[in-house]
Amino acid sequence: MPIKTYDVLIVGSGHSGGMAANILTQKGISCLMLNAGPEADYDKDRSIKHAYELPYRGFNKPGRLPHVFQANEFNANQWVDEKEVPYTCPPDAPYNWVRVRLLGGRSLFWARQSFRLSNFEFKAAEIDGTGDSWPISLEDLAPFYSRVERIFRVAGRKEGWPQFPDGDFVDTPYPPDTETIKRVTEIANKRGVQVSKWRSALGKDGLASSINLLLPDALATGKLDIVQNAIVRQISVDKDTGLASGAHFVDRHSGREMHVKARAVVLAAGCLESTRLLLNSNVANSSGVMGHYLVDQMYGVSVVASVPEARDGKAPPGLMGGSAFIPRFRNLKKSDKRNFIKGYCVHINSGGSASPNFFPLYGAELQAKLDSYANSCISGGIFGERVARYENHVRIDDKVTDRWGIPVLHIEARDSENERNLTKDAADTIEEWFHEAGWELICKTDRVNPPGYSIHEVGTCRMGDDPKKSVLNKWSQSHDVKNLFVVDGASFVTCGWQNPTMTILALSMRASEYLAEQMRTNSI
Amino acid sequence: MRRRNFVRSLLISPIAPAVLAEEQKAANTKAIQPPPEARTPVRQFGPTEVPHLPVIACDLAARPAPNYFNKIQFATLQKLGGILQPPLKNNPGAIEAQAPEFLDFLISVSPEDRQKLYLSGLDSLEQQAKDKFQRSFCDLEAQQADAILRPLLVVRPWPEDLPSDPVQNFITQVHEDLRTATMNSREWALAAEKSGRRFSRGSRTSGYYWAPIDPISEG
Repeated sequence: MPIKTYDVLIVGSGHSGGMAANILTQKGISCLMLNAGPEADYDKDRSIKHAYELPYRGFNKPGRLPHVFQANEFNANQWVDEKEVPYTCPPDAPYNWVRVRLLGGRSLFWARQSFRLSNFEFKAAEIDGTGDSWPISLEDLAPFYSRVERIFRVAGRKEGWPQFPDGDFVDTPYPPDTETIKRVTEIANKRGVQVSKWRSALGKDGLASSINLLLPDALATGKLDIVQNAIVRQISVDKDTGLASGAHFVDRHSGREMHVKARAVVLAAGCLESTRLLLNSNVANSSGVMGHYLVDQMYGVSVVASVPEARDGKAPPGLMGGSAFIPRFRNLKKSDKRNFIKGYCVHINSGGSASPNFFPLYGAELQAKLDSYANSCISGGIFGERVARYENHVRIDDKVTDRWGIPVLHIEARDSENERNLTKDAADTIEEWFHEAGWELICKTDRVNPPGYSIHEVGTCRMGDDPKKSVLNKWSQSHDVKNLFVVDGASFVTCGWQNPTMTILALSMRASEYLAEQMRTNSI
Repeated sequence: MRRRNFVRSLLISPIAPAVLAEEQKAANTKAIQPPPEARTPVRQFGPTEVPHLPVIACDLAARPAPNYFNKIQFATLQKLGGILQPPLKNNPGAIEAQAPEFLDFLISVSPEDRQKLYLSGLDSLEQQAKDKFQRSFCDLEAQQADAILRPLLVVRPWPEDLPSDPVQNFITQVHEDLRTATMNSREWALAAEKSGRRFSRGSRTSGYYWAPIDPISEG
């Protein structure tokens, strides 16, 4: 049987790979998608169980997934096995690399928060007075954001604030604010801080993934083939032209080595996997920047208070419940002088219960406290922006390989004084608001989880106009290898405080349309 | 033996050729009949219906046999279970939920640093009890145990926030482990069912379990 030939090889099947396949196939371009893991069958692979039915009573197998704080025994099998595909980091700088290799990748499980970056992020160097800006602006990406938002059916409230760009939202009525949310809003507004609502992708049938919103249309064209359990080992390069010619991959089960040819290669394996593949392939790194400027957001700052009149089950109707979302409000003006650059958003949730670890009590005394404080709590947390710094990087650890003999990543990322000052400001600010509201502070921390915990890792193949300072151009195309594109979060220059998914999707759509046009005109 | 000989005699008796001739005749008869309907491929490879036989969990048939901690350590752990997570509000406590027995197993298969934390933590409590009250920790009155335990309790904004002091760290973890092992137990679930509490999909005690998806064979 003759082997099919493909125009484009796409590595990865999550949001970015799904979008590339969706755009390219609908323009008549044949694509092969390689995915490192299998397809999950939601009916066969998933069932409702009690914790006591599980081998470790819900604790998870000890020592498994030590870096995936999100893992428990119920969901342990959905994450990449850290023993099968390990990575290394310095003992003093743990990194939480949270991965999914199922078909659809992390798009199967994301939290669906859907924001645009603003020009405070795209043009960060001008705002911060340091660092780098993107080679594109919000205006360049806005039309693509709009199309993505319509596909993913993003619900949001339009505000008209420059730091929180509006989108093409589906019309979803928000319930009226409860008294506690009104109180926080009033206190924040008094300080010039604007308060809005979450923006969330509704998707379809409870799922907003590439497997239900992007790949079905691509498959319907007859132009897409998907191979599962295909672990890409190396990008192959034509010796004469220096262009990417395809990829070597290994079958996950048998270990059989394979090679596929394509006219162009699109990497969408997730920021760090794409970069690992490029580093292992030794391509597209004439700048020496590849692997550097790894960045993600800070999660972990938490302030919890209890509303006295809501205790002991006595909350009157309309007092507790609901949420508020407060987009970045620090360093929006030159006059705002802080001991940190960039900013954070705050999310407020009302009506929760106290966690047992909030109280230094045990037994009946602890239970009485938990009962009294049930549903009386209001909490504030943040998504904080880390600074993209050269020294936070990944490189190949040639002493360690994965199950298939592929060298693994060594990841080094540490927070700086800027991050510590930012999170302290966030915790102090939320505490101040709660204090003014007259609520009892139960706990407060400005400590954040290790880098990577947010599962929003971006950077390491940043885009830019200068090939000496960046890996990709403004079309997510390699400066060095013109038929090689990286369409996941690796191209980010700054991470912002926003969930990156909408930006990744918009960038992938934009890059794929550019690639399609280049192929149509035979420029690639 | 007599029966076996009889069977053997049948096999070698002159009846055998006659039986074969009958079978041959039947086969010839079949040959002139219309061909049977094609069988479905499934029937060619195996049974189409396999009964599901009822089985029970081992906990319903047997009691755990703790064997990791020594006697004193296990007695200390049981005492902690009774103090930190007693039966409350018609729910079983740690002892009723066999949480110490479960933790004996869990810690036995845990990484070394966690094993050390438990072993030294349990030993430390025993030592403190002897130093302060000249008794084993498991024999302390509630007030005496409280005098040792209360100073070791800390406030933690996040469950991952563990104190640097090893004994405080142990108390923090064993408290949470006993609580989780109790609330995740069959006994707790039965009590919840009895009291009419709703089956909660999102809670820690139940949820969607993902089975291994297309696992790689270790063979």
